[in-house]
Amino acid sequence: MTADVLLEKDLQAQFEERIARGDKIEADDWMPEEYRLALIKLISMHGISEIMGALPEKEWVPKAPTLYRKLGIMAKVQDEMGHGQLLLRVAEDLIKPLGKNREDLMQDLFAGRLKFHNVFHMATKSWGDAGLIGWLVDGAAIITQTNMLNASYAPYARALQRICAEEVFHAQHGEAIILALAEGTPEQKEMVQDALNRWWEALLFFFGPPSSDTTGSTKQDITIKYKIRINTNEELRQGFLSKYVPRIKSIGLTIPDPTLRFDEETEKWIYQQPNWENFKKIQRNEGPKSQERLKLRRTSYDDNAWVREALSARIG
Amino acid sequence: MGNESFYQEFEVFSRRTKTSPFQHQFSLLAPNEDIAIVMAQENFMRREPVADIWVVKRDNIRGLNQEERQMVERLDNKDYRLTKGYGYLRKKWRQYEQGMFDEKEILSWAGGQKK
Repeated sequence: MTADVLLEKDLQAQFEERIARGDKIEADDWMPEEYRLALIKLISMHGISEIMGALPEKEWVPKAPTLYRKLGIMAKVQDEMGHGQLLLRVAEDLIKPLGKNREDLMQDLFAGRLKFHNVFHMATKSWGDAGLIGWLVDGAAIITQTNMLNASYAPYARALQRICAEEVFHAQHGEAIILALAEGTPEQKEMVQDALNRWWEALLFFFGPPSSDTTGSTKQDITIKYKIRINTNEELRQGFLSKYVPRIKSIGLTIPDPTLRFDEETEKWIYQQPNWENFKKIQRNEGPKSQERLKLRRTSYDDNAWVREALSARIG
Repeated sequence: MGNESFYQEFEVFSRRTKTSPFQHQFSLLAPNEDIAIVMAQENFMRREPVADIWVVKRDNIRGLNQEERQMVERLDNKDYRLTKGYGYLRKKWRQYEQGMFDEKEILSWAGGQKK
């Protein structure tokens, strides 16, 4: 064994010992390649998803029913962009030693190398969808994100602390829209039920496949090993069902899965598996709105190229 | 020109009130200081109160590296520097039928003395 390999082994052991005792890792600390790559994949996807997630929601700013609702959803869209900025910064500090920056992340997105979250490939057809996203998609996102609040990678944990504080507003913003509709006219109630029927599969997809047997790959094992997150995809989904199924039913909605039930013996929710083939399609950017939203992002990036160029100019 | 000068790294600090210390918020990318200030407000101060903002180019900050950070870890053997090391005074003053001038009591004097 050469000295370099020995050193690498020492560093790896030291790193694992730090993770084991709950120490926090900083951007300029030594870290195994496996850890860096897992973080880059996770956080660049998280960051770009916030920005892509603003697209289906911003469609509802001009169409929101009242001025107050317009202001509310606009504030939320702005938050999502802010979260994107925070997370991209965390990802950028990780890719910096690899000689990459934000431009590379944008190009990766456009080329389909960098994925955005499966839930943001779906269409938003009504104001009920806008409310449902705020309530249940953000609810699911809160479960995922709070699970990483104590992540071993300190810059990510710090970003998540800021983000989760604002997510509390997002959750209540969504609840406000849904409760107003659920307590409204029969037509309004129908709007929420219709939204739930169309979004249920997407909500099950949200947490990802239970294991790599389902879809071929998952990064959950490595993120748990390095204490970036606590729970598996399935544990998160079960947590979501426990928290939200009673609330969904309590406001008179019907979940479009007659087989859904809580099994007292195993203390687990039994539910109809979604069609994971649809999930794989979304992963290949072949979801209902994948290409349209990528195109929108690409167009705005190209249209604003002159602003970046003008501001980059150095005088004298 | 291009990428490097458009995406410059700034660290952002702000204070909540006129008497609170500057606190690090996060970093951001901006092409210059003025835009960095605007972005700092947009990114980090949409809700929380803010009295002042600093943006500092990251290149101008000398921080600690991994090794140096171990140097600042505190050992738990400095009771003599802390009020913790003098907690027994409370019991003593009680013997003299007096209350303890603890941190809470002393700082409450900011309200002024009786006129």
